[in-house]
Amino acid sequence: MFVLPPPPPRYTVPVAYAAGASNGMAVPIVETNNIITHPENGCPLQVGEGTYQLQDDLHLATPPPHPSEAPIINPNPLATNPAPPTSGVKLSLVSLGPRNKTAFPSKLNVTAPPFGDGNSTLAPIPAKDASKKRKPKNNIIKSSSSFVSRVIIHEATTKRLNDRDPEGLFAFANINRAFQWLDLSSKVKDEPLSKILFTKAHMICHDVNEISKSSSHIDVVMGSSAGDIFWYEPISQKYARINKNGVINNSPVTHIKWIPGSENFFMAAHENGQLVVYDKEKEDALFTTELPHGSTESVKPSSRSLQVLKSVNSQNQKTNPVAVWKLANQKISQFAFSPDQRHLAVVLEDGSLRLLDYLQEEVLDVFRSYYGGFTCLCWSPDGKYIVTGGQDDLVTIWSLPERKIIARCQGHDSWVSAVAFDPWRCDERTYRIGSVGDDCNLLLWDFSVGMLHRPKAHHQASARHRSSLIASSSQQINRRRADSAGNRMRSDSQMTAADSEAVPDQPIQHPVESRSRTALLPPIMSKSVGEDPICWLGFQEDSIMTSSLEGHIRTWDRPRENISDNYGDHNSSAALGTSVGSNPAASSRGSL
Amino acid sequence: MNPDRQVGCSPPARPSRFASLSPVMVASWSIEETESHRKSRTRAMWYRSLRWLTLIKGSAAPAVGAPPPKKELQPLPMTPLEKMLMELGPIREDGSDKFFGMENFGNTCYCNSILQCLYYSVPFREAVLNYPKRTPIESLEAALAKALRYQDPNARQEAEALAEKQKAANPPRPGQPPNPQQKPEDKDSPEYKKKIALQTLPLLETANNSDSYAMAESLFTSMKDIFESVVGSQSRIGIIRPQHFLDVLRREHEMFRTAMHQDAHEFLNLLLNAVVTNVEDAAKEPSPEKLLPAAESSESLQPSSSSGLKTPNTTRWVHELFEGLLTSETQCLACEKVSQRDEVFLDLSVDLEQHSSVTSCLRKFSAEETLCEKNKFHCDNCGGLQEAEKRMKIKRLPRILALHLKRFKYTEDLQRLQKLFHRVVYPYHLRLFNTTDDAEDPDRLYELYAVVVHIGGGPYHGHYVAIIKTQDRGWLLFDDEMVEPVDKNYVRNFFGDKPGLACAYVLFYQETTMEAMMKEQEQENMEPPAEANPFTTKQNGYPHSPALAHVHSASQIPVPEEHDRFTGLKRAPTAPQLSTHYEHADSENPVSPPPVQTPIISLPPVPPIPETPTSPLVSRKSDLQSKKERAKEEKERKAREEKERKEKEKQRRKAVEAEFKENQRRDEANLKAALEASKATKEDEDRRNHKENGSAKKPAGGLGRFRSFSQRINKDKESRHSLPPIPSLPNGDQSSSKVSIEQGQSEILRKPVSQPPSQPLSPPLGGQVAHSSPPEAPTPPAQPEQQESIKNSRHDRSSGHGKWRSFSLRKKSFNILSS
Repeated sequence: MFVLPPPPPRYTVPVAYAAGASNGMAVPIVETNNIITHPENGCPLQVGEGTYQLQDDLHLATPPPHPSEAPIINPNPLATNPAPPTSGVKLSLVSLGPRNKTAFPSKLNVTAPPFGDGNSTLAPIPAKDASKKRKPKNNIIKSSSSFVSRVIIHEATTKRLNDRDPEGLFAFANINRAFQWLDLSSKVKDEPLSKILFTKAHMICHDVNEISKSSSHIDVVMGSSAGDIFWYEPISQKYARINKNGVINNSPVTHIKWIPGSENFFMAAHENGQLVVYDKEKEDALFTTELPHGSTESVKPSSRSLQVLKSVNSQNQKTNPVAVWKLANQKISQFAFSPDQRHLAVVLEDGSLRLLDYLQEEVLDVFRSYYGGFTCLCWSPDGKYIVTGGQDDLVTIWSLPERKIIARCQGHDSWVSAVAFDPWRCDERTYRIGSVGDDCNLLLWDFSVGMLHRPKAHHQASARHRSSLIASSSQQINRRRADSAGNRMRSDSQMTAADSEAVPDQPIQHPVESRSRTALLPPIMSKSVGEDPICWLGFQEDSIMTSSLEGHIRTWDRPRENISDNYGDHNSSAALGTSVGSNPAASSRGSL
Repeated sequence: MNPDRQVGCSPPARPSRFASLSPVMVASWSIEETESHRKSRTRAMWYRSLRWLTLIKGSAAPAVGAPPPKKELQPLPMTPLEKMLMELGPIREDGSDKFFGMENFGNTCYCNSILQCLYYSVPFREAVLNYPKRTPIESLEAALAKALRYQDPNARQEAEALAEKQKAANPPRPGQPPNPQQKPEDKDSPEYKKKIALQTLPLLETANNSDSYAMAESLFTSMKDIFESVVGSQSRIGIIRPQHFLDVLRREHEMFRTAMHQDAHEFLNLLLNAVVTNVEDAAKEPSPEKLLPAAESSESLQPSSSSGLKTPNTTRWVHELFEGLLTSETQCLACEKVSQRDEVFLDLSVDLEQHSSVTSCLRKFSAEETLCEKNKFHCDNCGGLQEAEKRMKIKRLPRILALHLKRFKYTEDLQRLQKLFHRVVYPYHLRLFNTTDDAEDPDRLYELYAVVVHIGGGPYHGHYVAIIKTQDRGWLLFDDEMVEPVDKNYVRNFFGDKPGLACAYVLFYQETTMEAMMKEQEQENMEPPAEANPFTTKQNGYPHSPALAHVHSASQIPVPEEHDRFTGLKRAPTAPQLSTHYEHADSENPVSPPPVQTPIISLPPVPPIPETPTSPLVSRKSDLQSKKERAKEEKERKAREEKERKEKEKQRRKAVEAEFKENQRRDEANLKAALEASKATKEDEDRRNHKENGSAKKPAGGLGRFRSFSQRINKDKESRHSLPPIPSLPNGDQSSSKVSIEQGQSEILRKPVSQPPSQPLSPPLGGQVAHSSPPEAPTPPAQPEQQESIKNSRHDRSSGHGKWRSFSLRKKSFNILSS
């Protein structure tokens, strides 16, 4: 009897194991359990409003490699075969309870029309029973998919689901080739409700649909390192595959999000620089570029920033994809929808931040990083600011109404991997930003519009700059008022056929501001929270959470007093913002 | 971690030519070998698994089907490099698309990797080639005819047979099933590739050619010999045998005489210093054979200290490329007096921390340091040792920033150097945060163009390779004899966190512009047009494997596009302040909103007329009809809104533009004022310069000059440091006509820095746009600053042996290795 050698794998073997081995981490051989620890010294985060206490550190177990794809550790460090992308642990959090967010802003008017409005072929088919959500077709437990290797369901899942606090938090987390569904409100939160083990690919991003969630239904989409996308409904353990075998786009999915307000549409960023909108319920079809009216599109100057390969207004909407936009030949790192659901901000590996009107399928503005690629971004809760993190070790604040850089925040010792606003500590004047990076640090920043200093404005060396600086800052205020008003007034309508033929306006290319003309913001808190790079950060009403490359999910409880009393709290934080702002700014000036 | 497990070259010198090829692979692949043996006992099975092995290894060596078991030699599959080169046009004259490996003569990988990095620095290569002049092409060709040795096709066969024999002689390992057929060598191992390269590629022997450019034989001349032979050679690929260079190196520097592993950074520093010395020495002894340049340089030598004042054709060019200026500010904590001291550097050595970035290492380099206890500072002001605060900042930014990551650290308890495997990330682009407030162009953009990688567990052994971004052929891996195109992402494999003990050790960043960067990014990852070369790809029967596409990355720029590319680059000097002005490139664009609509700004938002063609209403007949109407109304409303929105957008754009205009006007006014001020100085300086060296009329090149200008306004004369352009071009009258033709060609290919500024580069700009560049056009050519250079040269001398130190974080720490 001869043993046949395994067929050549379509997807190269994940590198994570090899990397783990080199870092002294043992490659796991058997399936292990998550471990929850309560570090003795804790890891308190001391900030003006109090001390955040580390609640626990949940270490997700790295699954052993699939038997068929034992890691081939190529000992040649110069081997030129490309490693498949992998990602540290990221979390998607969802609470099924009624939303009672008291965070700032308490209410945001969403006036934008839904995506794809106006294209009748995209109109949702009315369901027979509106209360009953459509589920994916395949049962994941009985799946014969070559993609799903194993599903481990907690034996008491049904009981746990029935007994739990309906407002408790669920978390979905990817670690290596595993995908875990955790109940963070459970007493045994280290025991996942279910765990899927994949082969051939890693899930590297995922998102939960906020619109369609209910106590009996959660829509999760995941993007994999192979480009394939999974639509997963954990409660019924059903799934469907989209972009199967990369038929629409075979490059890895770097980021995935449900389109706000939509039950069916989600957007995936592929590593080859394409943004693709999929419908979770549509079948795949081989995608060929649809250029309207010949290939005039490719010569349009705007195609530099955005090339519509398939418009959402296309009449051919029987199958996926719904829309395909090519932004660049560069990797898209992340994207985020504005809270008012009108804009889409995308950051790329080429160091550009592109602001899109995604309903109109056009790029409005392009900003550049100080240097290096951008890695992450987020919107302020009120939609006025965008914050980015990048390979220049900087967290950068951009103003949407002013369309300009507001400040650069210096404090990380390596690339920034995730940024987030803390909506519970934001108000009209001050904003709290958190950021984590490859330096294993968690940094908090307070920024208020009035307190920003320009580092060298006082210095004689930049006298020439100074004059323009002052003028521009006074101008800003006027412009800002006008602009924000204009912005509010601006209304969107979907593209008509006539409009899509019109030459879109060129995006505004914003040059890089020099250091001497940009405010520099120091952090209010910087703390090394682990031994491995941190790759995700989230703020909850009662906690701050981070997750790391090797699977540590850390949770800090907020200082007690500020949960309920919101009003006084805002005042104090504003005061704090100014006082904190002045000191470090002074010191930063000293060091410059 | 087992430090010595995979070490490349072990200390003793190797007798064989291939000895230095790293055995890294051997051990490991043999593991796999045994595995596959277990799996496949018969020959048929064996080949199947072999094919599988080749397949999973992907693109590195595309499988050409299972190797048949016959003895005779197969035509070799093309190397990835050859594949890449197939699509190139004619060989360029400037040497930018020559890809030569370098033979390793036993642990000389430190030298090979550094030489490759220097060769692919365009300004450095140009300077080396052109200083003091090029070898006349005839004599070069004559020398090359002797030096370039094409391989005898039988040689490989013989070698193969020999290897086969040797292998057969080795008894099979115990525990391994007896295999009637020895496994063919692993085609993916670097040893194999290097061996094949040595057997098949033309070998380029370099000889001492220093007479032809009238210099005494030195490290510089032997390096120039290497560069010239590569540029002059007929072949695009091959292997250089730097034997002669090594002979000179070993003759002049005792340290390198052993066949031991050497430190690449140390070698870089030594080489740059040697070049400085050699060039300066040569300039000092005027030789009768020297033509114009000799006369010039000897003339300008008269004020002996003014050697720094010379035009491009002088000895300053190494300084101008690699040299930066550090200012150490020390503030006495007792009297608060700040004392400054300037020191030049050729490269920066930075301390590393786990999980950090190059940016952060550089910031830490300039972080404040308190001098206390044993290390007190002698304050001249209050007299005596005081506690003080010290920080080092960069006052003048080098054009090529060589960053040495201090991976080898002395540990007290082990009493020896240890290699740090910290994860230190480095971005493709960089700006420096640690500049002084008065630094010129503090926001200068650098791009990573070369990485020297050290592979091995410790400082006393290991292997060096270089990964280099060539001008427009993407990234390549230079591993001694082997040259291979690699993906851009490959560069990121050496942060220090990957297995295999390979870490970046020296990073080379070169100055660039936003525009060049964006241009390049656009070209990256472009799918090579399928129709570009339909038959060449198939010509050899090796279909282009799709997996290979990634390998080519930026290197596969279709030839016709090169024109665009270079015109794009050429344009760069017109808008030197790209970082702030490049937006204009867009406003020139005809597609931008027509100016007709300008008045909108002043008008109150007009109720817009619905744009959608309203079809005449048909009498309403049914509910359906009314529904339609409603839909239409809705449509109209939306169109209206849309228009409104568009208008708003336009207004916003207008506002932005207006603001820009405003800024520009201000800038321009400032510029004008400054221009007036500087004109006087300029004339002054010009006159002085004329006296000092007769060649003040040089077309001082692009960016450096503009940059320096933009900051000059705010500076008093003393603190000015202009960066004169690269000195590479000999004037046409100095060289034979042949050379000048060559020159002309290479000039086109050259980076924008060497563009003569007088060239009307931009299309006529309209209105507000126009004034962005003209004020800069008449700027005086950069004037080397007299005082500064005197200071420098004085400093130079005082620091002993005229040797430039590379700076480390703590002022006392030179390279530890040298002690």
